[in-house]
Amino acid sequence: MIGFLRLFVVALVFLSLVYLIVRAYARSVHREELEREWDESRSGLSQADRDIFINAGMRVYSQGPGRRLLWLVFILPAVAFAVIVWLVNAQ
Amino acid sequence: MSTLMYWGLFLGLLAIAVGVLLLRYPAGSRGRRNLRWGGWGLIALIVGLFLHYTLPRHAVVRVVNTYNRVTTLGWENRIFYASPDTGTAEQTDTRDIRFIDVAYPDNTVMVFRNEDTGWVWPPYFKYDSATLQARAANFAQQTATPQWVSVTYYGWRIPILSTYPNAVRIREVAGPDVTIFPWANIIVLTLLALVILFVRRMWLQFRQRMVDPVAVEITDALDGIESRTDERMKSARTDWGRFKAWLGLGQKS
Repeated sequence: MIGFLRLFVVALVFLSLVYLIVRAYARSVHREELEREWDESRSGLSQADRDIFINAGMRVYSQGPGRRLLWLVFILPAVAFAVIVWLVNAQ
Repeated sequence: MSTLMYWGLFLGLLAIAVGVLLLRYPAGSRGRRNLRWGGWGLIALIVGLFLHYTLPRHAVVRVVNTYNRVTTLGWENRIFYASPDTGTAEQTDTRDIRFIDVAYPDNTVMVFRNEDTGWVWPPYFKYDSATLQARAANFAQQTATPQWVSVTYYGWRIPILSTYPNAVRIREVAGPDVTIFPWANIIVLTLLALVILFVRRMWLQFRQRMVDPVAVEITDALDGIESRTDERMKSARTDWGRFKAWLGLGQKS
């Protein structure tokens, strides 16, 4: 049973790391998208306006529904673990 | 000497060999190109063998015997068995291990071990080896009308090292001609490929957004320092002044 606890702790630490990395990646992609959108449509305005536009867009994104998907980083491995345990150990 | 020291020795010699080869074949030479391909080939081989050992396979067989045997593990085959704290024995090289003898339709035979895998690696999370042994014994008893079963297992039978694949699951099948579709392998390999592609995309995104802009800044800054240094070295009147300018210690910027 101590082995199970160890797995739980190690997996939690590892998946938290993965979560942070994937979150940074998703934010980076969204920021790039906002930058491209601005550069394509409103290139006449100033740099300060561009920063305001991108920061506002990032704020909307960080409260939006897309971020909930990130929890799949924890949920999918847990489901896979449960399925494997059931398949292997059920008669 | 302990196993750890052997590993240290091995890795040290490997590092020295790689260093010698890299010096022998400088960058851009034909030998370096071959070396790079050889290195990738070696990595692909190791990864392939690792996956072949770890991923589940199926054997359609009859179970003919089940038994326990006190088994002593040595340095050469310990890596192929469950780690000490997950099996039946604690911190020792001799333990009682369950075995299952089976026969293929063509009467060739195979010996599986039946050990708990524990909670880390390989990730089968098997803890019911006693139940599995009972099921195998039940199938072995049915001698009048042999029950064909599909044994899911991983690992290799290497007779000279006394290693046995680990039986993970036993299911009844209709007959000896049944083929088992490798769902688990397909799912795992697909996920692995997706993860590799995703990691590559994340790395490219990171490099494009984080590393490249900084690299450009550093290059610009270095260029600036260099041109300023050149100007100051030209305008300095004494050797000492030129030396100070070279060090970047000029008064004017």
